[in-house]
Amino acid sequence: MNATESNSSNLKQRAKSATQKLFIWTFGWVLSLALVAFGPKFLWDFATTFTLVAIVINLFCGFKMIMANKYHLMCMDEMQRKIQLEAMAISLGISMVFGAIYGLLEAVRLISHSPNPSNILFVMGISYGIAVGLGYRRYM
Amino acid sequence: MKNRLKVLRAEKDWTQADLADALDVSRQTINAIEKGKFDPSLPLAFKAARLFNLPIEKIFDDEYEA
Repeated sequence: MNATESNSSNLKQRAKSATQKLFIWTFGWVLSLALVAFGPKFLWDFATTFTLVAIVINLFCGFKMIMANKYHLMCMDEMQRKIQLEAMAISLGISMVFGAIYGLLEAVRLISHSPNPSNILFVMGISYGIAVGLGYRRYM
Repeated sequence: MKNRLKVLRAEKDWTQADLADALDVSRQTINAIEKGKFDPSLPLAFKAARLFNLPIEKIFDDEYEA
């Protein structure tokens, strides 16, 4: 199996490299988001130029993170990719359904505070994680 | 879809990991294919056929399981 061992390491190496890239850009994006959120108040006293620069950095990191995620998906084998795509579809659907109804809750006076859009991100992340877990379990 | 992957692998005394290495997929994917839980794509099926030096229909059977 010598000839095939290199293939195996290729798959593993590709997955490892893609995961590292995804981690680095996700970490960069989170850091730059924190910079946009807290920098104006604590670091540069709401100077517009610095805020714009921070936003540009955040958008750049966000773009690189999206590309790294796409690359990560491409580095998987076909079953792993199918599980991920199904999880993304479920997560997108749940987020859309939850987001639509969540946005109406204040208007119909079921909640007293304004809906926070970041809650939809939590729902998206949690539903994606659960869907990936269930997907792997389904094929095991 | 039924397949003879497990039998052919056993004939060559390969583990699932060995076959996964040869086909450049994960061991979990080989396990799922052998158990009939996941149908491989046409390129992967051809790759398996080339690896075992057999026609594709000798490995994979498109007859639906009842």
